[in-house]
Amino acid sequence: MHIIKLDAIDSTNTFLKQLSSCEMVEDYTVVVAKEQTMGRGQMGTIWESETAKNLMFSVFKDVSFVPVEKQFYISMVTAIGIYKALKKLALPRVKIKWPNDILSADKKICGVLIENIVTSNGLRDSVLGIGVNVNQTDFVGLPKASSLVNMVGRVFDLDEVLYHILVELKECFAWLERGQYKKIKNEYESELFKKNKPSTFLDAEGSMFAGFILGVTELGHLKVLLEDEIIKVYNLKEITLLY
Amino acid sequence: MDLKDIQNLIKFVAKSGASEVKLETDDVKITIKTGGDDKGETTTYVQQIPVGAPVAQAPVVQQQPVAATPETAAPVAEDSKYITIKSPIIGTLYRKPSPDKPLFVEVGQTISEGDVLCIIEAMKLFNEIESEVSGKIVKILVDDASPVEFDQPLFLVDPS
Repeated sequence: MHIIKLDAIDSTNTFLKQLSSCEMVEDYTVVVAKEQTMGRGQMGTIWESETAKNLMFSVFKDVSFVPVEKQFYISMVTAIGIYKALKKLALPRVKIKWPNDILSADKKICGVLIENIVTSNGLRDSVLGIGVNVNQTDFVGLPKASSLVNMVGRVFDLDEVLYHILVELKECFAWLERGQYKKIKNEYESELFKKNKPSTFLDAEGSMFAGFILGVTELGHLKVLLEDEIIKVYNLKEITLLY
Repeated sequence: MDLKDIQNLIKFVAKSGASEVKLETDDVKITIKTGGDDKGETTTYVQQIPVGAPVAQAPVVQQQPVAATPETAAPVAEDSKYITIKSPIIGTLYRKPSPDKPLFVEVGQTISEGDVLCIIEAMKLFNEIESEVSGKIVKILVDDASPVEFDQPLFLVDPS
């Protein structure tokens, strides 16, 4: 496994994508940075982090064996891998918040941004961008964020956390390589935050409604049980879980 | 409806200049398309709908050119020299890597194989769509940040 360590970079995902476009990159090549100057979250949002306190890395993975319509499984195995690693590091109440945030005791500890390269033959490579709050203690203006140190009460070695996540990621991607879709979906759904619990959501128009998260569809849409036994399926932009 | 009726119908549709006619009765469903490609061929699909007592089996009729309709065929023929790049997945199409960045591609731009044309986001998975062809972008068929369906045409590329 190749691990490339950088002091500062605009974005580890961008770096790894550029690297893969000019040379052959081995599976599980990792780029880790002490500081990201342009860390990205979802389209246009940013990932903020104090220098050298947190873990920010990207993992390169060949995903040409995944049919394009099954791409949400990449997201699921990534989330399960991180979930398992954080459990091993003794974090309390680790859960996966749909689609792929990792929470501990209801606070966001980890965010994921996955970028795939698609050709007309389907998926080719995936770059898994992972940000874990490790040793940062203050989250001013971010009431729903926390870190490993705040949760467990000890300072972590960043390499140790990275190692645990990589080990679990490899194992979970092996399920995907073996086509164990059912197992993946079961594992993912069983650790889904607020599953089968009464929850409140906001729809795209900003109105609140109540429901129970049941699971996800093959495409990754959220299945919610509403009043009168109605099950509705939601896209990412159509629903926000309030917690 | 017998074979003769169907033949008459095809002739009528071809003469009318309509490009497609669908007819559905209790037992038969017929779709007649004319000028579907540059040869101006008329294709007829007859579909038997299974209801109660079987009616006489209507054959699939492949009619030879009957008064081709060049008016409708012409624009199709012109586009056929272009390559259509279609969406491999359902999602939201973005024409920029992020809101403050320039567009990946614009009309008139020359692209090479392997160039990123757009990003299609589905459930927080960001898919960079690479071009398999080299050529010039002739037309962009979708707006930035708009939803796209599987197989929806996205770009027209002139490979010459």
